[in-house]
Amino acid sequence: MYEEPYRWVEAVGNRRQYLDEQFKQGSPVVALSYDGGILLTTVSKGTPKLYEIYDRLALGGMGHPTDLEKLRFSLLEMAHVEGFNRSPSDVTGSRLVKYGIAPVIKQAFEEVYKAPFIVRIVVAELGQKPEKDALLTINYDGTFEETTGRAVLAATSAAQTKMMSYLKEQQPAPLSLEQALDLALRAWAIGSLAHQQDEADQQAEAKPQTSNAGSSAAAIPSSDTLIAHVRSIAGERTIECAILERQAPGSSKYRSLKQVDLSRLLPAALQSVVAN
Amino acid sequence: MGMQGDFYQLLKEQGYTFGVPTTVETGHVLTNATTILAFKYRDGVLVAGDRRATAGNMVMYDRTDKVLEIDRHSVMAIAGVPATAYEMVRVLDHSFKYYRRTQLQELSFDGKLRAVSKLLKENVPAALAGTGAVVPVFAGYDMEQGSAKIYFYDILGAEFEAVEYAVSGSGSPTIRGILHYLNTWGEQPLSALPEEQAMVQALRLLTSAAEFDSATGGVNREASLYPVIKLITGAGVQTVPDATMKPLYESQVVRYV
Repeated sequence: MYEEPYRWVEAVGNRRQYLDEQFKQGSPVVALSYDGGILLTTVSKGTPKLYEIYDRLALGGMGHPTDLEKLRFSLLEMAHVEGFNRSPSDVTGSRLVKYGIAPVIKQAFEEVYKAPFIVRIVVAELGQKPEKDALLTINYDGTFEETTGRAVLAATSAAQTKMMSYLKEQQPAPLSLEQALDLALRAWAIGSLAHQQDEADQQAEAKPQTSNAGSSAAAIPSSDTLIAHVRSIAGERTIECAILERQAPGSSKYRSLKQVDLSRLLPAALQSVVAN
Repeated sequence: MGMQGDFYQLLKEQGYTFGVPTTVETGHVLTNATTILAFKYRDGVLVAGDRRATAGNMVMYDRTDKVLEIDRHSVMAIAGVPATAYEMVRVLDHSFKYYRRTQLQELSFDGKLRAVSKLLKENVPAALAGTGAVVPVFAGYDMEQGSAKIYFYDILGAEFEAVEYAVSGSGSPTIRGILHYLNTWGEQPLSALPEEQAMVQALRLLTSAAEFDSATGGVNREASLYPVIKLITGAGVQTVPDATMKPLYESQVVRYV
């Protein structure tokens, strides 16, 4: 029945709806440049969501763990084979994304008889110089976007926009790692709160008389509220942070931050979360 | 499903071959490389190598680096055909990284040793044909056990653990005897040497090797050309800078008659 163009468009539309639904429970991911490199952070439940891909490449994702694993392996494979056959400096995030996984994701998305990848991905690339740093985000339909300085993944594009504008407005100058972590977690909280709000709105819509105006236009909460939100959620989950560190010795620049590092870097209000 | 996280397997699937035997044309002399040594000292293990590469009587190159860092905690020193050895190091470097990144854990020290001997085994046909013999010394710090380790190999890939020291290359017969003597009757065993004394001994040993083996470079002060010395401890691999070797060489190695 999908042979007819209209049916196909309809089927793809249904897929979008289905996929959007899948991310609702997901945890946002924030990638942010700081003065010594790039920071990736999220609050994960069970499986890790931040990974090392190559000497100067890191991956953050949300979605289905198995799909993320599959794409992570293809990225690792492509990066290492390319790095071995050519040279490590020829392994770039934009080539891996544009010619590597984005077409695969797009194809899976449009083949309506097969299962799509339930993933949103951010690939962070540490350039040889700070101005060469790049952040690439890929959506479940294979569309990708290349940005610098900051990038986010969230369940809805509204949440993403909120997080991005918060980051933009709060990040005037280059940040230290400590400041970046603080800001990234606050942006994460904005995304997470937006997810909760969306869910509440949906429930409210089910009841006819409640007005749902104002909720999406709600003012940005204060920093303290945001950090408190992180604290309330991070209790049962793990704050996950990874950095691509320009000054790191050796060729591999990726390092995931351990508890010791976090207890030194996290804002005071979140110290108790790490201690547990 | 094959072995998880095996980069070498992945390369083979892509059509890569390692150690293809080719017969040497008569009269053609291959590039070779020379004296390497490793011994355990107080803080870890020291690995050193001279810098000369020769083909027959010809000095091909005087700045070869035969002590190659594979990762933060392991080093491979090579004697034999550099072309094969460099390729081996490239494969190993990517294999260890690939394993760590896919499996989300470091390859164990034993796993790394296996990887080296597997590559050497693949290389046997080339080694026997005379075009690709490599005799490496693999040294590293086993983080799990908290101890330094040295292994040496023959060209067929057999792996031997060296208790105190290992040597390889054309200059090695000379210094093997010296190492035995030093370790048995010296003022203190090698494993008790502090860092600076260990470096002095390494410089003396390579100078001795160069004295009796034309294919070993030793130290060339005029060109300020010093051997490569790397120290591996729990903190990682550290390359000794020339600026450190120079005063040690001048005060404790050179003898003015």
